[in-house]
Amino acid sequence: MINLAQKDIAHGLGKFIITSMGVGMLLGIVLIMIGVYRGMIVDAEALLRDLNVDFWIVQEDTLGPFAEASRVHEDLQEALRVVEGIDSAEALTFQNIQLSTSANPVRVVAVGFDPHGSLDAVNPRKIIAGRTLLRSHYEIVVTDKTGFVVGETLQLGRNTFRVVGVTKGTVSSGGEPLVYISLKDAQELQFSYTNNRIRSDRARGIINRDSHMVNTIVATVKPGYNVDEIARQIRESKHKSVYTRVQQEKILTKNVIEKASKQIGMFTAILVAVSTIIIALIIYTMTLEKMKEISIMKLIGLPNSMIIKMIVQETVLLGFLAFVFGNAFSLLIYDTFPKRVVLEFPDAWMLFLVVMVFSILSSFVGVKKVISADPAAAIGG
Amino acid sequence: MGNTSIRVENLVKNFGEGDNLVEVINGASFSVDKGELVALIAPSGAGKTTLLMMIGCVEEPSSGTIYLGDEKVYENRWLTRKTRKIRREKIGFIFQAHYLIPFLSVLENVTLVPQANGISKKESQKDAMELLHYFDIADKADAKSSQLSGGQNQRVAIARALANKPEIILADEPTAALDLVRSIDVVKMLKKIALEQNVAVVMVTHDEAMYPLCDRILKIEDKKVVSSPPSS
Repeated sequence: MINLAQKDIAHGLGKFIITSMGVGMLLGIVLIMIGVYRGMIVDAEALLRDLNVDFWIVQEDTLGPFAEASRVHEDLQEALRVVEGIDSAEALTFQNIQLSTSANPVRVVAVGFDPHGSLDAVNPRKIIAGRTLLRSHYEIVVTDKTGFVVGETLQLGRNTFRVVGVTKGTVSSGGEPLVYISLKDAQELQFSYTNNRIRSDRARGIINRDSHMVNTIVATVKPGYNVDEIARQIRESKHKSVYTRVQQEKILTKNVIEKASKQIGMFTAILVAVSTIIIALIIYTMTLEKMKEISIMKLIGLPNSMIIKMIVQETVLLGFLAFVFGNAFSLLIYDTFPKRVVLEFPDAWMLFLVVMVFSILSSFVGVKKVISADPAAAIGG
Repeated sequence: MGNTSIRVENLVKNFGEGDNLVEVINGASFSVDKGELVALIAPSGAGKTTLLMMIGCVEEPSSGTIYLGDEKVYENRWLTRKTRKIRREKIGFIFQAHYLIPFLSVLENVTLVPQANGISKKESQKDAMELLHYFDIADKADAKSSQLSGGQNQRVAIARALANKPEIILADEPTAALDLVRSIDVVKMLKKIALEQNVAVVMVTHDEAMYPLCDRILKIEDKKVVSSPPSS
């Protein structure tokens, strides 16, 4: 039996491929949007995974340090270290800063931690050049997206920092590149004021004691101790808010990125709907272009099944090719996006399923046209 | 009934209804025998193509009776839902334009209907090649219609109409786009087919030069069909 779809496609192969590529690019954008959404979730949890701690102790009644501002005293870490069951406790700061480069300024989030403490905030597996911080002052580890290389110097506040390490894939919960500096440098940057400001404050009777504040204390628990029980004790005795790792993840995904991810989700849904409508329109147009031939086929007695098979096969092939082109397109461009784009196979397969289902549904538009085609129209009367 | 291929009794075709009712055919009765080539003539708009399409089970009449061979296919309604199957198995169509499927080759165009009738690809291709040889276009078997001349395309269209070994050929102005010499060739070819394959051929034509080549003339007059010898 002659395969009409194969013959028709071969007759207008260039047009069919270009149409598939066009739809494919649209599907590629859908995949990228899903990737951006996935990237946001991965970014949100990246720092939590790197730090790998059991508790986040923050200012009472706040959702700090990511969802809300939080300030706690640095010496809280000493008090926590003696709580039964606590293995280690370290102070951390987080602040947005802007690095001046020769090209464009780069906005980053600086993580301050004690290089001599028990916690190395720099995940060693993510270091691609140099090393982590070893000194208490004027060293910085940057992420590769900043463009700095090991050995370069840069100005932060009143001090010059030397780049001692470069990491890859380290981002803040908002997806901005991370840099790491010592806790003392971070406190100076965040809480020390200019001489003029200090003089002005003194004249007002204000004494700046903020330089020993931090944004959070993180802690790990010894094996065999109940994390929730220790968290409850700290909450009650230290008058602080305490979040376990799971709670902090929930705060990040629910409070910090929920709206943004919903927005991306909405965009993705709209794009899928638009792609579906475009596929349906293409099928309708492709069918309309063949109405004369379809009328002739009906006139000379070809059964509907043969003609419908042609329309459905072409639609399914269009959807499949568009999916292939869409994947190729997204794989080609995803790395050029400034924020993380995570392409995952299950998403691609889900989209494949959606595209194929909607392609088949779209082909019904063409099928309806075939069924209603008047064979007499072939000869204009 | 034995030698009659088409029998039409009291056929009526109206378009529209109420005040907009247009009577096109009103009480047409005629028959065409196997092996006979008849010309169907009438002024433009008199309903020639409509009549042809009713015989071809494409256009539904308003009332009347149609027999194709021994089978009564219409009596005030279609007596079968499979009118398309009747077209596919019993009727070959030829039109003013060739109406070949542009994305199929000559051979594929000719084998399309036989394959839809369940004939194997191999057998349908063998039969199609015989037809193409008969019409002297076998060397164009792999060409598309866009690569052929008007005359060649028309010969392919005739080959396609014959491919399903029809009992009836309905030809709607098959010579309208051809010059006199080619027109005579085509009508002689139809006459030869009618005789050799015992097929009834009804040909709509405006060309008086073709009348003498036909066995009979069927003329639509006053919405009825009148039969006369070709010389009249």
